[in-house]
Amino acid sequence: MQKTLVITPSRCTACRTCELACSFKHAGPAGLGISRIRAFMFGEGKNQILTCFQCDDAACVKVCPVTALARNEATGAIEVDEDRCIGCGLCSLACPFGHMAHDGRMAIAIKCDLCGGQPACATFCPTRTLEYI
Amino acid sequence: MSEKVVNLEINGRGFQAREGMTILEVAKREGIPIPTLCHHDALEPVGACRLCMVEITHPNWRGWKGLVTACLYPVEEGLQVTTESQEIHQVRKTILDLLLARCPDAPYIQKVAAEHGVTATSFKKNEVQTVCILCGLCVRVCAVKGCNAIGTARRGIRREIAAPFGMPPPDCIGCTSCAHICPTDAIPWEDVNGVRKIWDQEFEMVRCVSCGRPIMPVTQLEFEAKRAGISPDYMTTCPACSQQKTLETIRTAFTIKRPASEDAVEAAS
Repeated sequence: MQKTLVITPSRCTACRTCELACSFKHAGPAGLGISRIRAFMFGEGKNQILTCFQCDDAACVKVCPVTALARNEATGAIEVDEDRCIGCGLCSLACPFGHMAHDGRMAIAIKCDLCGGQPACATFCPTRTLEYI
Repeated sequence: MSEKVVNLEINGRGFQAREGMTILEVAKREGIPIPTLCHHDALEPVGACRLCMVEITHPNWRGWKGLVTACLYPVEEGLQVTTESQEIHQVRKTILDLLLARCPDAPYIQKVAAEHGVTATSFKKNEVQTVCILCGLCVRVCAVKGCNAIGTARRGIRREIAAPFGMPPPDCIGCTSCAHICPTDAIPWEDVNGVRKIWDQEFEMVRCVSCGRPIMPVTQLEFEAKRAGISPDYMTTCPACSQQKTLETIRTAFTIKRPASEDAVEAAS
């Protein structure tokens, strides 16, 4: 069966290890600004994690004019083909949840791709808030 | 679907490829670097910049070899490709030398030329100020978006990227895709107080329903919603506000409220 990134916000301490792991894995030591996952601190037990829901009927896929967004059938994640992306930013506007971002430096869309089946955020989460099961 | 597989050699190494793939596609897949200026995976290749020149030969060609653009040449059985040689380097240098003569002030061209060992042009510099290298990426991206608002005009040394008749293009939706894909930033545009200016036209911008930040031109919103077949409401909130909204929704939906009886106990004590 396909694995899923399961988030249990009640365990989250908003330590931002997931954000660091994500940006490090995708862009090298480039900082939190281009992390595909976000931790929000609201106090113990109320912290929240936001990352792509990998929607079945995704608005980002629908609006992309160059079909740079496609689902990876192996992981179920919608991935950005960075060579096809023209950086128009429509996907990040169309996402009703605000989960997509735009890497200004590279002029391409960035989103969670579940690291091709080994999400770094889940690997490094110290409190098992993020689990890939 | 029956796909014919062809065997070819790139720099002496054997590879398999689908029939119809170009040399550049195979080289890219195998991690063999071929420099390009006008290529983009999402757009039709046109072979405008000629920088991806490679040398090809075939055992059946009795020693004949030729230089072709890797972005356009389809692979074939037994093809032998060389991506680096003295001759190819010389061709690439000449192309960059000419581009430097055309656009001496384009930083990107200066950078690519320097990477190939060309620091100054040996030709007479262009007297007309331009940074456009006529790669046609803007024209092709406009076509892919379905607008076809701009194209190339005139021929020879007067060739340029332009809107029809040099007038504000009626099909332009103000998306700025042309400006973003341009490798040398040759297409000027600006957003001022919720009005976008590009190609001598002004576009009224849609503002984010939450924060009021200008998002995209009204014309573009209508066009994109129609093309994608989704409601325009999908694109009227900026990503930051969408994220905030999601956060609020999740927080209110999953807050476990204490039973009223507990509150009553606390109030009594």
